[in-house]
Amino acid sequence: MNWRKWNRWIHRELGFLFFGMTIVYGISGIALNHHVTRDWDPGIITRSTTSQYPKLLQKSEVDRSTIESILEIAGETENYKQYYFPSDDLLMIYLKGGHITVDLTSGSIHTTKIRKRPFFSELNYLHYNKPKQLWTWFSDLYAFGLVLIAISGLFLIRGRKGISGRGGILTLIGILLPLVFLVIYLWL
Amino acid sequence: MQKLVLLAILAFVAMSCNQTSEENTAAKESTEMEQIVSATIQELLATPAEYDGKEVAVSGMVTHVCRHGGQKCFIVAEDGETQIRIVPGGEIDEFKIDLEGSTVAFKGVFRVLSSAQTDELVEDYESKEHHAVEQSHSEAEKADYFVEAVDFKEVTP
Repeated sequence: MNWRKWNRWIHRELGFLFFGMTIVYGISGIALNHHVTRDWDPGIITRSTTSQYPKLLQKSEVDRSTIESILEIAGETENYKQYYFPSDDLLMIYLKGGHITVDLTSGSIHTTKIRKRPFFSELNYLHYNKPKQLWTWFSDLYAFGLVLIAISGLFLIRGRKGISGRGGILTLIGILLPLVFLVIYLWL
Repeated sequence: MQKLVLLAILAFVAMSCNQTSEENTAAKESTEMEQIVSATIQELLATPAEYDGKEVAVSGMVTHVCRHGGQKCFIVAEDGETQIRIVPGGEIDEFKIDLEGSTVAFKGVFRVLSSAQTDELVEDYESKEHHAVEQSHSEAEKADYFVEAVDFKEVTP
């Protein structure tokens, strides 16, 4: 078997073997990339509801009975943890699996329930290398395999569309693009 | 007979060494225990230089856990206003969001950043889009002091 056949074999077999890992890192990578605003969190799902306290409140008059009334309105009497005032106009009541914010100046009650986002939270768990131990070794192996897949991919095709032709130009562009971003965002 | 005596001496020496080692370990642990300073958040912030680099025990209600990987959380002092940043250290990978609203006792090292490190921290803080809105913990998030926790325990659920 000549080296090109070996090269094709490496590219094909590793491509199949690491298909799952590529999907795991690819999808979770996009999710983590876009976890930059408060609007979407790949790890958790938040559900918000709004209700109204019957009268306006002042920080000084908030006591346990006020808290119980708010919990009743929000339907969260069973989940109470503790409360505190982030500011003079805002009351935060912590719940098991969420929190309630009350705008004291308007009496508006905003309940936020939080739970784990299925699928993405598991992908993130792997992406952040939370399991450690054997997963570290396997993901290292994957990273090395990815390098081999990339290098072997360069030499799959001969001729005009290969590394000595259009393929080479595309490869060069792919190397230069990250450098351009570094120049713009880091070095300039 | 000579071999038996030699073996007995070696065994005695080995036992003595082991005992000394255990005594040293116990003494070290005892010293370490003595070095942990129990302090309130206000005490830490009143004289931060005094606590810099020291192992401290501090507790308070967790007001916020960072949604970006749980790499920091904030606890509030008894005055209901002063907050301090806690970052995971040692065997702690992250803080779970479930800690919000719980009173938690942390053990860790109190650290004070240099002015250059603080400038870098503030610059990084301000570059994050999700920090556009100031929150009650924002000041503590930019502060030059924090606790690097090595252990923690929920006091109230």
